[in-house]
Amino acid sequence: MNLGILIAGLLTLAIYSFLYKDNPVYRAAESLLIGLSIGYTLVLFWQSTLFDKLFYPLLREHGIWLTIPLILGLMMFSRLTRKWSWLSRIPIALMIGAGAGAAIPAMLYARTLKQVSATVHPLIMENGGFDISAVVVVIGVLTTLAYFYFTREHKGVMGKMARVGTYFLMIFFGATFGYTVMSRLSTLIGRIDFLLGDFLHLLK
Amino acid sequence: MNSNKTRWIIYSTLLIVVVLSYLLGINLITHPSPEVQKSYTFIENLPESSVVMVSFDHEASSLPEIQPISLILLRHLFRRNLRVVGLSLFAEGTAIGYRTLTKVAQEYGKQYGHDYVFLGFKPQHISAILGMGESIRGVFPEDYFGNKIEEIPLMRKIRNYDDILVVISIADGDRTMQWIEYAGAKYHQRIMAGLTAAMITTYDPYLASGQLSSAVGGLKGAAEYENLYGRRGMGNRGMVAQTAAHIFIIVLIVIGNILYFKNRSKGGGNR
Repeated sequence: MNLGILIAGLLTLAIYSFLYKDNPVYRAAESLLIGLSIGYTLVLFWQSTLFDKLFYPLLREHGIWLTIPLILGLMMFSRLTRKWSWLSRIPIALMIGAGAGAAIPAMLYARTLKQVSATVHPLIMENGGFDISAVVVVIGVLTTLAYFYFTREHKGVMGKMARVGTYFLMIFFGATFGYTVMSRLSTLIGRIDFLLGDFLHLLK
Repeated sequence: MNSNKTRWIIYSTLLIVVVLSYLLGINLITHPSPEVQKSYTFIENLPESSVVMVSFDHEASSLPEIQPISLILLRHLFRRNLRVVGLSLFAEGTAIGYRTLTKVAQEYGKQYGHDYVFLGFKPQHISAILGMGESIRGVFPEDYFGNKIEEIPLMRKIRNYDDILVVISIADGDRTMQWIEYAGAKYHQRIMAGLTAAMITTYDPYLASGQLSSAVGGLKGAAEYENLYGRRGMGNRGMVAQTAAHIFIIVLIVIGNILYFKNRSKGGGNR
Protein backbone atom coordinates (compact mmCIF):
# COMPACT_ATOMS: atom_id res chain seq x y z
CA MET A 1 0.00 0.00 0.00
CA ASN A 2 1.10 3.54 -0.81
CA LEU A 3 2.58 5.16 2.33
CA GLY A 4 0.61 8.37 1.79
CA ILE A 5 -2.68 6.45 1.62
CA LEU A 6 -1.76 4.48 4.75
CA ILE A 7 -1.01 7.67 6.71
CA ALA A 8 -4.16 9.39 5.41
CA GLY A 9 -6.30 6.37 6.32
CA LEU A 10 -4.89 6.08 9.82
CA LEU A 11 -5.28 9.82 10.43
CA THR A 12 -8.89 9.71 9.22
CA LEU A 13 -9.61 6.91 11.69
CA ALA A 14 -7.79 8.86 14.43
CA ILE A 15 -10.00 11.91 13.85
CA TYR A 16 -13.19 9.81 13.76
CA SER A 17 -12.18 8.19 17.07
CA PHE A 18 -13.48 11.40 18.68
CA LEU A 19 -17.02 10.09 18.02
CA TYR A 20 -16.31 7.48 20.67
CA LYS A 21 -14.82 9.98 23.07
CA ASP A 22 -12.01 12.52 23.38
CA ASN A 23 -8.70 10.62 23.36
CA PRO A 24 -4.94 11.21 22.90
CA VAL A 25 -4.89 9.71 19.40
CA TYR A 26 -7.56 12.16 18.26
CA ARG A 27 -5.75 15.08 19.92
CA ALA A 28 -2.44 14.12 18.30
CA ALA A 29 -4.09 13.98 14.86
CA GLU A 30 -5.83 17.31 15.46
CA SER A 31 -2.58 18.98 16.56
CA LEU A 32 -0.83 17.56 13.52
CA LEU A 33 -3.51 19.01 11.25
CA ILE A 34 -3.26 22.46 12.84
CA GLY A 35 0.54 22.44 12.82
CA LEU A 36 0.76 21.29 9.22
CA SER A 37 -1.83 23.83 8.02
CA ILE A 38 -0.04 26.72 9.71
CA GLY A 39 3.41 25.55 8.59
CA TYR A 40 2.26 25.07 5.01
CA THR A 41 0.56 28.49 4.94
CA LEU A 42 3.65 30.19 6.41
CA VAL A 43 5.93 28.62 3.81
CA LEU A 44 3.57 29.67 1.01
CA PHE A 45 3.36 33.23 2.34
CA TRP A 46 7.13 33.40 2.68
CA GLN A 47 7.70 32.05 -0.82
CA SER A 48 4.97 33.92 -2.70
CA THR A 49 5.06 37.24 -0.87
CA LEU A 50 7.98 37.95 1.44
CA PHE A 51 10.65 36.34 -0.73
CA ASP A 52 9.23 36.82 -4.25
CA LYS A 53 7.75 40.27 -3.80
CA LEU A 54 10.01 41.82 -1.19
CA PHE A 55 13.40 40.37 -0.31
CA TYR A 56 14.41 39.09 -3.75
CA PRO A 57 13.65 42.31 -5.67
CA LEU A 58 15.00 44.43 -2.79
CA LEU A 59 18.34 42.66 -2.56
CA ARG A 60 18.87 41.39 -6.11
CA GLU A 61 17.08 43.93 -8.30
CA HIS A 62 17.87 47.00 -6.22
CA GLY A 63 14.19 47.80 -5.68
CA ILE A 64 15.07 50.43 -3.12
CA TRP A 65 11.48 51.75 -3.02
CA LEU A 66 10.48 48.39 -1.46
CA THR A 67 12.02 49.60 1.80
CA ILE A 68 8.80 51.63 2.26
CA PRO A 69 6.48 48.59 2.52
CA LEU A 70 9.19 46.79 4.48
CA ILE A 71 9.27 49.59 7.07
CA LEU A 72 5.46 49.76 7.11
CA GLY A 73 5.36 46.02 7.71
CA LEU A 74 7.89 46.22 10.50
CA MET A 75 5.85 49.03 12.08
CA MET A 76 3.06 46.48 12.61
CA PHE A 77 5.29 44.71 15.13
CA SER A 78 5.46 47.88 17.23
CA ARG A 79 2.19 46.68 18.77
CA LEU A 80 4.31 44.31 20.83
CA THR A 81 5.56 47.22 22.93
CA ARG A 82 3.30 49.63 24.75
CA LYS A 83 5.60 52.61 24.21
CA TRP A 84 5.79 52.33 20.42
CA SER A 85 2.44 50.71 19.65
CA TRP A 86 1.09 53.99 18.20
CA LEU A 87 3.39 53.43 15.20
CA SER A 88 1.27 50.49 14.07
CA ARG A 89 -1.65 52.83 13.46
CA ILE A 90 0.03 54.17 10.31
CA PRO A 91 0.17 50.89 8.32
CA ILE A 92 -3.26 49.90 9.72
CA ALA A 93 -4.73 53.21 8.54
CA LEU A 94 -3.21 52.65 5.10
CA MET A 95 -4.59 49.12 4.92
CA ILE A 96 -8.07 50.17 6.00
CA GLY A 97 -8.07 53.13 3.64
CA ALA A 98 -6.94 51.13 0.62
CA GLY A 99 -9.18 48.19 1.54
CA ALA A 100 -12.26 50.37 1.95
CA GLY A 101 -11.48 52.26 -1.23
CA ALA A 102 -11.34 49.04 -3.23
CA ALA A 103 -14.21 47.29 -1.47
CA ILE A 104 -16.93 49.92 -1.08
CA PRO A 105 -17.62 50.69 -4.77
CA ALA A 106 -17.31 47.01 -5.76
CA MET A 107 -19.57 45.76 -2.98
CA LEU A 108 -22.10 48.54 -3.45
CA TYR A 109 -22.33 47.73 -7.14
CA ALA A 110 -22.31 43.90 -6.98
CA ARG A 111 -24.15 43.25 -3.71
CA THR A 112 -26.64 46.11 -3.75
CA LEU A 113 -27.24 47.89 -7.05
CA LYS A 114 -27.04 44.83 -9.32
CA GLN A 115 -29.09 42.73 -6.91
CA VAL A 116 -31.78 45.42 -6.52
CA SER A 117 -32.03 45.84 -10.27
CA ALA A 118 -32.37 42.06 -10.65
CA THR A 119 -35.28 42.14 -8.19
CA VAL A 120 -37.26 44.64 -10.29
CA HIS A 121 -38.73 42.47 -13.01
CA PRO A 122 -41.79 43.17 -15.18
CA LEU A 123 -44.74 41.18 -13.83
CA ILE A 124 -46.05 40.57 -17.36
CA MET A 125 -43.82 38.47 -19.59
CA GLU A 126 -43.12 39.10 -23.28
CA ASN A 127 -45.69 36.46 -24.30
CA GLY A 128 -48.36 38.26 -22.26
CA GLY A 129 -48.33 35.70 -19.44
CA PHE A 130 -48.17 36.56 -15.78
CA ASP A 131 -44.73 35.95 -14.23
CA ILE A 132 -45.57 34.26 -10.94
CA SER A 133 -41.94 34.00 -9.84
CA ALA A 134 -41.53 37.79 -10.17
CA VAL A 135 -44.57 38.20 -7.88
CA VAL A 136 -43.03 35.84 -5.32
CA VAL A 137 -39.76 37.83 -5.45
CA VAL A 138 -41.61 41.14 -4.93
CA ILE A 139 -43.67 39.79 -2.02
CA GLY A 140 -40.58 38.13 -0.52
CA VAL A 141 -38.45 41.29 -0.70
CA LEU A 142 -41.16 43.62 0.66
CA THR A 143 -42.30 41.40 3.51
CA THR A 144 -38.74 40.48 4.58
CA LEU A 145 -37.80 44.16 4.59
CA ALA A 146 -40.95 44.82 6.67
CA TYR A 147 -39.74 42.25 9.22
CA PHE A 148 -36.40 44.07 9.56
CA TYR A 149 -38.06 47.50 9.85
CA PHE A 150 -37.79 47.95 13.60
CA THR A 151 -38.52 51.67 13.98
CA ARG A 152 -42.26 50.99 13.70
CA GLU A 153 -44.19 48.53 15.84
CA HIS A 154 -45.19 45.36 13.99
CA LYS A 155 -48.98 45.87 14.20
CA GLY A 156 -51.80 45.96 11.65
CA VAL A 157 -50.69 45.75 8.00
CA MET A 158 -47.05 46.10 9.01
CA GLY A 159 -47.43 43.21 11.46
CA LYS A 160 -49.03 40.99 8.84
CA MET A 161 -46.31 41.81 6.32
CA ALA A 162 -43.60 41.10 8.88
CA ARG A 163 -45.29 37.78 9.67
CA VAL A 164 -45.22 36.76 6.01
CA GLY A 165 -41.57 37.93 5.95
CA THR A 166 -40.73 35.46 8.72
CA TYR A 167 -42.11 32.61 6.56
CA PHE A 168 -39.78 33.61 3.72
CA LEU A 169 -36.89 33.76 6.18
CA MET A 170 -37.78 30.33 7.57
CA ILE A 171 -37.83 28.86 4.07
CA PHE A 172 -34.38 30.36 3.50
CA PHE A 173 -33.05 29.01 6.80
CA GLY A 174 -34.56 25.60 6.08
CA ALA A 175 -32.99 25.46 2.62
CA THR A 176 -29.64 26.59 4.01
CA PHE A 177 -29.78 24.04 6.81
CA GLY A 178 -30.75 21.29 4.38
CA TYR A 179 -27.85 22.15 2.08
CA THR A 180 -25.47 22.30 5.06
CA VAL A 181 -26.53 18.81 6.17
CA MET A 182 -25.99 17.66 2.58
CA SER A 183 -22.55 19.26 2.58
CA ARG A 184 -21.43 17.69 5.85
CA LEU A 185 -22.73 14.29 4.75
CA SER A 186 -20.78 14.65 1.52
CA THR A 187 -17.64 15.10 3.58
CA LEU A 188 -18.38 11.91 5.52
CA ILE A 189 -19.22 10.07 2.30
CA GLY A 190 -15.97 11.26 0.74
CA ARG A 191 -13.96 9.84 3.62
CA ILE A 192 -15.90 6.56 3.58
CA ASP A 193 -15.25 6.38 -0.18
CA PHE A 194 -11.53 6.81 0.56
CA LEU A 195 -11.47 4.32 3.45
CA LEU A 196 -13.42 1.61 1.60
CA GLY A 197 -11.73 2.21 -1.74
CA ASP A 198 -8.12 3.39 -1.55
CA PHE A 199 -7.42 2.29 2.04
CA LEU A 200 -9.21 -1.06 2.38
CA HIS A 201 -9.68 -1.90 -1.34
CA LEU A 202 -13.24 -3.08 -0.73
CA LEU A 203 -14.73 -1.19 -3.67
CA LYS A 204 -14.43 -2.37 -7.27
CA MET B 1 -32.18 6.83 27.34
CA ASN B 2 -29.34 9.25 28.07
CA SER B 3 -28.18 11.70 25.38
CA ASN B 4 -24.78 10.02 25.02
CA LYS B 5 -26.41 6.71 24.18
CA THR B 6 -28.78 8.39 21.71
CA ARG B 7 -25.82 10.11 20.05
CA TRP B 8 -24.03 6.80 19.77
CA ILE B 9 -27.00 5.08 18.17
CA ILE B 10 -27.45 7.92 15.65
CA TYR B 11 -23.77 8.01 14.64
CA SER B 12 -23.44 4.24 14.41
CA THR B 13 -26.62 3.84 12.36
CA LEU B 14 -25.58 6.66 10.03
CA LEU B 15 -22.20 5.03 9.52
CA ILE B 16 -23.81 1.64 8.82
CA VAL B 17 -26.26 3.23 6.37
CA VAL B 18 -23.46 5.00 4.46
CA VAL B 19 -21.11 1.99 4.39
CA LEU B 20 -23.88 -0.42 3.31
CA SER B 21 -25.02 1.95 0.56
CA TYR B 22 -21.47 1.93 -0.77
CA LEU B 23 -20.97 -1.81 -0.58
CA LEU B 24 -24.30 -2.60 -2.27
CA GLY B 25 -23.08 -0.81 -5.41
CA ILE B 26 -26.48 0.45 -6.57
CA ASN B 27 -26.56 3.05 -9.34
CA LEU B 28 -28.93 6.00 -9.00
CA ILE B 29 -30.11 8.03 -11.95
CA THR B 30 -29.81 11.78 -11.38
CA HIS B 31 -31.28 14.32 -13.77
CA PRO B 32 -29.32 17.51 -14.41
CA SER B 33 -30.57 20.65 -12.72
CA PRO B 34 -30.84 23.78 -14.91
CA GLU B 35 -27.67 25.26 -13.37
CA VAL B 36 -25.56 22.17 -14.04
CA GLN B 37 -26.99 21.87 -17.55
CA LYS B 38 -26.14 25.53 -18.18
CA SER B 39 -22.56 25.02 -16.97
CA TYR B 40 -22.12 21.95 -19.14
CA THR B 41 -23.64 23.56 -22.25
CA PHE B 42 -21.50 26.66 -21.80
CA ILE B 43 -18.24 24.72 -21.66
CA GLU B 44 -19.37 22.41 -24.45
CA ASN B 45 -19.90 25.40 -26.73
CA LEU B 46 -16.65 27.24 -26.02
CA PRO B 47 -14.38 27.54 -29.07
CA GLU B 48 -11.49 25.07 -29.03
CA SER B 49 -8.22 26.40 -27.52
CA SER B 50 -10.05 29.10 -25.55
CA VAL B 51 -8.41 29.97 -22.26
CA VAL B 52 -10.25 29.18 -19.04
CA MET B 53 -8.99 30.22 -15.62
CA VAL B 54 -9.64 27.74 -12.79
CA SER B 55 -9.15 29.03 -9.27
CA PHE B 56 -8.92 26.45 -6.49
CA ASP B 57 -10.31 28.55 -3.64
CA HIS B 58 -10.90 25.93 -0.98
CA GLU B 59 -9.45 24.26 2.07
CA ALA B 60 -8.38 20.65 2.44
CA SER B 61 -11.33 19.95 4.76
CA SER B 62 -13.86 20.34 1.95
CA LEU B 63 -11.91 18.12 -0.42
CA PRO B 64 -14.33 15.15 -0.34
CA GLU B 65 -17.09 17.38 -1.68
CA ILE B 66 -15.02 19.67 -3.89
CA GLN B 67 -12.81 17.03 -5.52
CA PRO B 68 -15.56 15.37 -7.61
CA ILE B 69 -16.55 18.81 -8.93
CA SER B 70 -12.94 19.78 -9.75
CA LEU B 71 -12.28 16.46 -11.47
CA ILE B 72 -15.31 16.46 -13.72
CA LEU B 73 -15.01 20.14 -14.66
CA LEU B 74 -11.32 19.75 -15.54
CA ARG B 75 -12.03 16.56 -17.50
CA HIS B 76 -14.62 18.42 -19.52
CA LEU B 77 -12.25 21.36 -20.14
CA PHE B 78 -9.43 19.09 -21.34
CA ARG B 79 -11.72 16.89 -23.44
CA ARG B 80 -12.89 20.03 -25.20
CA ASN B 81 -9.21 20.95 -25.82
CA LEU B 82 -9.53 24.16 -23.86
CA ARG B 83 -6.44 25.62 -22.27
CA VAL B 84 -6.40 25.95 -18.52
CA VAL B 85 -4.71 28.53 -16.32
CA GLY B 86 -4.84 27.23 -12.73
CA LEU B 87 -4.22 29.20 -9.58
CA SER B 88 -5.26 29.36 -5.96
CA LEU B 89 -6.35 32.21 -3.73
CA PHE B 90 -6.53 29.95 -0.69
CA ALA B 91 -3.24 28.64 0.69
CA GLU B 92 -4.52 25.11 1.34
CA GLY B 93 -6.01 24.84 -2.12
CA THR B 94 -2.64 25.32 -3.79
CA ALA B 95 -1.10 21.86 -3.58
CA ILE B 96 -4.51 20.21 -3.98
CA GLY B 97 -5.27 22.32 -7.04
CA TYR B 98 -1.92 21.56 -8.63
CA ARG B 99 -2.26 17.83 -7.98
CA THR B 100 -5.80 17.67 -9.38
CA LEU B 101 -4.94 19.75 -12.44
CA THR B 102 -1.84 17.67 -13.22
CA LYS B 103 -3.66 14.37 -12.69
CA VAL B 104 -6.46 15.25 -15.13
CA ALA B 105 -4.07 16.87 -17.62
CA GLN B 106 -2.00 13.66 -17.72
CA GLU B 107 -5.18 11.59 -18.28
CA TYR B 108 -5.75 13.59 -21.47
CA GLY B 109 -2.09 13.74 -22.51
CA LYS B 110 -1.84 17.50 -22.09
CA GLN B 111 1.47 19.29 -22.03
CA TYR B 112 2.45 21.69 -19.26
CA GLY B 113 3.10 25.20 -20.50
CA HIS B 114 1.21 24.64 -23.76
CA ASP B 115 -2.17 23.25 -22.71
CA TYR B 116 -2.20 24.18 -19.06
CA VAL B 117 -0.24 26.09 -16.49
CA PHE B 118 -0.40 26.45 -12.72
CA LEU B 119 0.40 29.90 -11.36
CA GLY B 120 0.34 28.93 -7.69
CA PHE B 121 -0.94 30.89 -4.71
CA LYS B 122 -1.24 34.58 -4.06
CA PRO B 123 -2.29 36.03 -0.70
CA GLN B 124 -4.38 39.21 -0.45
CA HIS B 125 -6.92 37.77 -2.84
CA ILE B 126 -8.69 41.07 -3.52
CA SER B 127 -5.48 42.72 -4.71
CA ALA B 128 -4.71 39.61 -6.76
CA ILE B 129 -8.11 39.59 -8.48
CA LEU B 130 -8.01 43.32 -9.17
CA GLY B 131 -4.37 43.14 -10.29
CA MET B 132 -5.06 40.39 -12.82
CA GLY B 133 -7.62 42.69 -14.46
CA GLU B 134 -4.68 44.90 -15.43
CA SER B 135 -1.91 42.34 -15.84
CA ILE B 136 -1.72 38.68 -14.87
CA ARG B 137 2.03 38.89 -15.31
CA GLY B 138 2.16 41.68 -12.74
CA VAL B 139 0.48 39.49 -10.12
CA PHE B 140 2.17 36.22 -11.09
CA PRO B 141 5.59 37.04 -12.59
CA GLU B 142 6.42 33.34 -12.22
CA ASP B 143 4.44 30.11 -12.21
CA TYR B 144 4.25 27.59 -9.34
CA PHE B 145 7.73 26.24 -10.19
CA GLY B 146 9.45 29.60 -10.56
CA ASN B 147 9.42 29.66 -14.38
CA LYS B 148 9.20 33.18 -15.78
CA ILE B 149 5.70 33.80 -17.15
CA GLU B 150 7.03 35.24 -20.42
CA GLU B 151 8.90 31.98 -21.01
CA ILE B 152 5.70 29.88 -20.81
CA PRO B 153 4.20 29.52 -24.31
CA LEU B 154 0.57 29.45 -23.10
CA MET B 155 1.00 32.66 -21.10
CA ARG B 156 2.70 34.71 -23.82
CA LYS B 157 -0.56 35.88 -25.36
CA ILE B 158 -2.52 36.18 -22.12
CA ARG B 159 -2.38 39.69 -20.69
CA ASN B 160 -5.45 40.02 -18.48
CA TYR B 161 -9.13 39.01 -18.24
CA ASP B 162 -9.68 40.15 -21.85
CA ASP B 163 -7.88 36.98 -22.95
CA ILE B 164 -9.80 34.66 -20.63
CA LEU B 165 -13.29 33.48 -21.55
CA VAL B 166 -14.41 32.39 -18.12
CA VAL B 167 -13.10 32.15 -14.57
CA ILE B 168 -14.23 29.02 -12.71
CA SER B 169 -13.92 29.47 -8.97
CA ILE B 170 -14.01 26.14 -7.14
CA ALA B 171 -14.77 27.30 -3.63
CA ASP B 172 -16.02 26.30 -0.21
CA GLY B 173 -16.46 29.85 1.06
CA ASP B 174 -16.78 33.42 -0.08
CA ARG B 175 -13.88 33.60 -2.57
CA THR B 176 -16.34 33.26 -5.46
CA MET B 177 -18.07 36.36 -4.10
CA GLN B 178 -14.83 38.31 -4.50
CA TRP B 179 -14.44 37.04 -8.04
CA ILE B 180 -17.98 38.31 -8.74
CA GLU B 181 -17.37 41.66 -7.03
CA TYR B 182 -13.93 42.48 -8.39
CA ALA B 183 -13.45 40.54 -11.63
CA GLY B 184 -17.14 40.31 -12.59
CA ALA B 185 -18.43 43.74 -11.66
CA LYS B 186 -15.31 45.75 -12.49
CA TYR B 187 -13.86 43.90 -15.47
CA HIS B 188 -17.09 42.24 -16.75
CA GLN B 189 -15.41 38.84 -16.51
CA ARG B 190 -17.76 35.87 -16.76
CA ILE B 191 -17.67 33.88 -13.51
CA MET B 192 -18.70 30.24 -13.06
CA ALA B 193 -18.52 28.33 -9.79
CA GLY B 194 -18.06 24.88 -8.32
CA LEU B 195 -19.45 25.12 -4.81
CA THR B 196 -20.01 23.05 -1.71
CA ALA B 197 -23.71 22.43 -1.06
CA ALA B 198 -23.58 24.60 2.07
CA MET B 199 -22.74 27.63 -0.07
CA ILE B 200 -25.49 27.22 -2.67
CA THR B 201 -28.10 29.40 -0.94
CA THR B 202 -25.49 32.16 -0.48
CA TYR B 203 -24.90 32.29 -4.21
CA ASP B 204 -28.50 31.70 -5.39
CA PRO B 205 -29.29 35.45 -5.54
CA TYR B 206 -26.18 36.00 -7.70
CA LEU B 207 -27.25 33.21 -10.03
CA ALA B 208 -30.69 34.77 -10.28
CA SER B 209 -29.25 38.19 -11.08
CA GLY B 210 -26.83 36.71 -13.63
CA GLN B 211 -23.72 38.01 -11.84
CA LEU B 212 -22.72 34.39 -11.39
CA SER B 213 -23.07 32.77 -14.77
CA SER B 214 -23.75 29.23 -13.51
CA ALA B 215 -22.74 26.84 -10.75
CA VAL B 216 -22.17 23.17 -10.02
CA GLY B 217 -23.16 22.62 -6.42
CA GLY B 218 -22.17 19.84 -4.06
CA LEU B 219 -21.86 16.12 -4.60
CA LYS B 220 -25.22 16.10 -6.38
CA GLY B 221 -24.04 18.74 -8.84
CA ALA B 222 -20.92 16.69 -9.51
CA ALA B 223 -23.02 13.54 -10.09
CA GLU B 224 -25.31 15.39 -12.51
CA TYR B 225 -22.30 16.77 -14.40
CA GLU B 226 -20.70 13.32 -14.54
CA ASN B 227 -23.88 11.98 -16.18
CA LEU B 228 -23.90 14.77 -18.75
CA TYR B 229 -20.23 14.14 -19.44
CA GLY B 230 -20.81 10.38 -19.66
CA ARG B 231 -18.36 9.18 -17.06
CA ARG B 232 -19.56 8.11 -13.64
CA GLY B 233 -17.16 9.00 -10.85
CA MET B 234 -16.97 10.00 -7.21
CA GLY B 235 -20.14 12.10 -7.48
CA ASN B 236 -22.33 9.22 -8.65
CA ARG B 237 -20.69 6.76 -6.25
CA GLY B 238 -21.64 9.02 -3.35
CA MET B 239 -25.23 9.69 -4.41
CA VAL B 240 -26.66 6.39 -3.13
CA ALA B 241 -25.02 6.93 0.26
CA GLN B 242 -26.22 10.51 0.34
CA THR B 243 -29.80 9.56 -0.53
CA ALA B 244 -29.82 6.79 2.09
CA ALA B 245 -28.39 9.14 4.72
CA HIS B 246 -30.98 11.80 3.88
CA ILE B 247 -33.81 9.28 4.26
CA PHE B 248 -32.31 8.28 7.61
CA ILE B 249 -32.21 11.92 8.76
CA ILE B 250 -35.80 12.51 7.62
CA VAL B 251 -36.86 9.44 9.63
CA LEU B 252 -35.02 10.86 12.65
CA ILE B 253 -36.76 14.23 12.27
CA VAL B 254 -40.17 12.52 12.06
CA ILE B 255 -39.42 10.36 15.13
CA GLY B 256 -38.13 13.42 17.00
CA ASN B 257 -41.32 15.36 16.24
CA ILE B 258 -43.59 12.45 17.20
CA LEU B 259 -41.76 12.13 20.55
CA TYR B 260 -41.89 15.90 21.06
CA PHE B 261 -45.66 16.13 20.51
CA LYS B 262 -46.26 12.99 22.56
CA ASN B 263 -44.23 14.45 25.41
CA ARG B 264 -45.97 17.81 25.11
CA SER B 265 -49.44 16.24 25.24
CA LYS B 266 -48.37 14.60 28.49
CA GLY B 267 -47.34 18.05 29.78
CA GLY B 268 -43.64 17.29 29.52
CA GLY B 269 -42.65 20.70 28.19
CA ASN B 270 -39.86 21.06 25.67
CA ARG B 271 -37.82 18.00 26.52
